[in-house]
Amino acid sequence: MRLALDLFTIVAVTLGAIFFLAGTVGLLRFPDTLTRLHALTKADNLGLGLVVLGLLPQATAPLGWIGLIAVWLLALLSGATVGQLLAEAVRPPEWDQTRTPDAPPVGHPNAPEASSHD
Amino acid sequence: MHANQHPTRSPGRLKFTDAEPTAAAPSVLAALARGAGFFGFWLLLARPGTDAPSTPDLAADLVVGLLAAAAAAWVSLRLLPPARKRLHVGALARLAVHFVWQSMVAGVDVARRAFDPRLPLNPGYLAYPVRLAPGTGRAAFGAVTSLLPGTLPVGTGADDALVYHCLDLDQPVAAGLARDEALLARVRGGGGSCR
Repeated sequence: MRLALDLFTIVAVTLGAIFFLAGTVGLLRFPDTLTRLHALTKADNLGLGLVVLGLLPQATAPLGWIGLIAVWLLALLSGATVGQLLAEAVRPPEWDQTRTPDAPPVGHPNAPEASSHD
Repeated sequence: MHANQHPTRSPGRLKFTDAEPTAAAPSVLAALARGAGFFGFWLLLARPGTDAPSTPDLAADLVVGLLAAAAAAWVSLRLLPPARKRLHVGALARLAVHFVWQSMVAGVDVARRAFDPRLPLNPGYLAYPVRLAPGTGRAAFGAVTSLLPGTLPVGTGADDALVYHCLDLDQPVAAGLARDEALLARVRGGGGSCR
């Protein structure tokens, strides 16, 4: 049983580390600040979640569990908030002119809105 | 599926802080309740006295914790005044399950794109005409959707629409946002502009 839990920890934490690596690779490879923000917020959210999940069997119940999950939730909340603030700070003022590809996104109800700005 | 949408009051409805902002006594109660909550959270994270417990050290730790909890309660009352609002617990659980699943999808999606040698991205902007009123509901919507696959809210555009930056405009982004918004609106019982 102990061995199984330890194996679970190793697998989950390793997977988490892979997602952290993915976030960093995205940070380096993605073309601009906003796409890099995507990489960091989403991959690190999942990576931290997997690390926390993997550490649960090693923590003392129940206080250790609650503490680990609280850390994850706090990181989620701050990541979601800071991500939006950074995105708002760096977006170009002509957001709908510069990045929208040739055709507006088809097949969803908001396509007219996307081109009516300014 | 739609059992929790029934208009009659079900036991799944939980009443949260029920003080009116104008009433003095209830806001003191709200401040005490929030302070106690923050102090409990601080105890959980800091765990004073777990290593080498000596009484003066523990007392000093607790004073710091109490001050921090009081400061947090003060800030929270400034930023989020207590108001009458019920949260729908069943809908909240559905939103949590949806959120965890979509977080995994989002992480895998970004990792796949980051590791792909061709770097398959089709970034662009999308104006989403959000129906949630400005305030807590919209802030929660922005926070939730910023962690979901391929969407990052970057601000408010024309006609009060939320502007999203998307990793891949070929994905059905607006449909996903509409589903998230419906889930969140159900958590908040559909009414009320802010909490």
